Amino acid sequence: MKNKCTLQVGEQGHLSDLHVGQKARVLALHNDSKSLRRHLLDMGITKDVEILVKKKAPLGDPVDIELRGYELCIRLSDMKNIDIEVIPS
Amino acid sequence: MKIALIGNQNSGKTTLFNLLTGSNQKIGNWPGVTIERKVGMIRGTNHELVDLPGIYSLSPYTSEEEISRKFVFEEHPDIIINIIDATSIERSLYLTTQLLELDTKVIIALNMTDILEKKGLHIEIDKLRQELDADIIPISALKRTGIKELIERIKTNAVQSNQNQMIFQPEVEKAIATIEQTLNGGHRRFIAIKLLEHDPLFLTLHQPFIDDLANKLELFFATDMEELIASGRYQYITSMKKRTVTHHPPIIDVTDRLDKVFLNKWLALPIFAVIMFLVYYLAVGTVGRFTVEGINSLVSSFGTWVRSGLISLNASAWSASLVSDGIIAGVGAVLNFVPQLIILFLCISILEATGYMSRIAFFLDRIFKRFGLSGKSLIPFIVGTGCSVPGIMATRTIEDPEERRMSIMLTPFIPCSAKLPIIVLFASYFFPKHSGVVSVSLYFLAIIVILFSALVMKKFFFKGKPSPYISELPEYKVPSPRYILRDVGEKTWEFVKKAGTIILLSSVIIWFFLSFSWTFQYGVDVEESILASIGRLFSWVLYPMIGEMSWGATVSAIQGLVAKEQVVSSMAVIAGLSEEVASGSGIFNAQIFSFFTPISAYSYMIFNLFSAPCFGAIAAMRRELGSRKRVWIAVSFQTGLAWVIASLFFGIGTLIGGIFG
Repeated sequence: MKNKCTLQVGEQGHLSDLHVGQKARVLALHNDSKSLRRHLLDMGITKDVEILVKKKAPLGDPVDIELRGYELCIRLSDMKNIDIEVIPS
Repeated sequence: MKIALIGNQNSGKTTLFNLLTGSNQKIGNWPGVTIERKVGMIRGTNHELVDLPGIYSLSPYTSEEEISRKFVFEEHPDIIINIIDATSIERSLYLTTQLLELDTKVIIALNMTDILEKKGLHIEIDKLRQELDADIIPISALKRTGIKELIERIKTNAVQSNQNQMIFQPEVEKAIATIEQTLNGGHRRFIAIKLLEHDPLFLTLHQPFIDDLANKLELFFATDMEELIASGRYQYITSMKKRTVTHHPPIIDVTDRLDKVFLNKWLALPIFAVIMFLVYYLAVGTVGRFTVEGINSLVSSFGTWVRSGLISLNASAWSASLVSDGIIAGVGAVLNFVPQLIILFLCISILEATGYMSRIAFFLDRIFKRFGLSGKSLIPFIVGTGCSVPGIMATRTIEDPEERRMSIMLTPFIPCSAKLPIIVLFASYFFPKHSGVVSVSLYFLAIIVILFSALVMKKFFFKGKPSPYISELPEYKVPSPRYILRDVGEKTWEFVKKAGTIILLSSVIIWFFLSFSWTFQYGVDVEESILASIGRLFSWVLYPMIGEMSWGATVSAIQGLVAKEQVVSSMAVIAGLSEEVASGSGIFNAQIFSFFTPISAYSYMIFNLFSAPCFGAIAAMRRELGSRKRVWIAVSFQTGLAWVIASLFFGIGTLIGGIFG
């Protein structure tokens, strides 16, 4: 892994900070882009939902995450809009 | 009755549609295969079934999702069949909760029940039926179970509607009820919720007191209405799921294992390159040479045979020539390539069905993003290797309008199957030992041209922000042989049909202009024909890339506008008519095309591949771009760029050849 510091269980950050295999609970969605926010909400990224970072594309971006029993591809830049708290995986 | 088929992307809608109607619409394993609504009759009934593009919610993001939402509100279907992927039930039910708020009758078709067990899932359907208070029919579109029950239920029309379950917090429900009372007409609960959410589509119904209600709720729950409603739906679904679904995940997940290889940091790109290489190598390299040499001589001996037959029947010289030099040579030249196309179609069909295509989009997104595109543009490009028209239509899954416009203009650069005859013809004659490599090189050149053009367009025409990339990653599937065969058969038949219609007609016209002079004298030397004199007017255009003032090459290239394979067909007719004797030894032995060298052959291929696409694709671009001006820009850009690249290649190639030669 790169020398970016890893978030520990209980710490807060953005979904984009997580490494493959880490799990987090969603705290809030940013309001920068209305349509993106709506889209994320519709795809099930709501407050308190648990998300597992499952795979990364070979070039590091986008990322495949697992939530609500299915998998979703999303870019790191969009994941920055999601505030999370790391939970034990 | 009018029945709508609605569900998430990649939930099997079209597979079910084909089963219910007995038709053969395109299916695939990536989100967004259906981009237009498709209509069919349900077997054994006179009920109309409409297959709609997949949506996750009734608040759409892309133009093709908008079609589904509009259909529900403007065309008032009698029944909605809501197809649900049972393996991702939680997300699927999100749409269901919205559909159940409409006044329309809803049947839930719980699909993929055959693989539930494999995934360690168990759904108590009776309990779910009770909780949702809706009609549920478990089916498997793939294994064809439950279909009879579904049709039976539609026939009897015994379907519930307007359950109006209170699924939100009491405070929210109270606000919804208040708004509902002020509304007239149908779908009141649904519209009331949309008004609370401030949905732009219902702004005409907006009233000031709704803002007060929304503001109070937002303060009370410390969030905004959109999130409140979305969370409300998901909370309702999760608690219901806890009571109805049990999950014991399997230890080995095949998809995850395969992705460890196909999405591996180091292997992914090489594997992709090898796969694309193999597709073209198989289609052009192996079968290519054999068929061109073999069938070419077959066609010409058939032509000779027919000619002598016709003459022995006392047919006039011109009619014998029309049939053998015009029709058989022209149509036959194109039909030569059916074997290669079958291989190409087979490879693409398999790629589409397995789920690998979504992976390509996934891992190339990062590169494409740099050029103002996204991974989603890749799907039109890959579909475009078959034909640009469906490729251009596949751009509808792209949310951002600018990125979509760019993808529409770039898709025709991909060598479509109609361009394959051009590649095979030139590559197998001029590069007999490396025809596979040469054709693959053109494919990679296409990618470079696309990325370069994207960069230019981004710089001068489109200056938008990158759009989000949010897409599902489907599981790998073993493709169904029945579907693959049908798909390949259909595409091949389309090609043959085109040869029998457009190409045949064009060949007759070409034969006419080649056989007559301006004084309508038959049997003149081709050099004195009408076509030759027209071609000479423009032959300077191609001079910089072939190093010859060739009217034959020029008129053939122009005919690429009719259909790209017409280039080959035209060359065959011209070559055949220009020779005294039908020697049967191929186009390039004819005096008129003997000037081609490997370098000019490659440049000529470049020009034909990247210049303006055929009229069919131009019309598709016109439809999707919605403006004549943009189409002109696109076509001029494509043709100009093709001319520059081809001329540059010829110039540099000749120079290098001169140094080493």
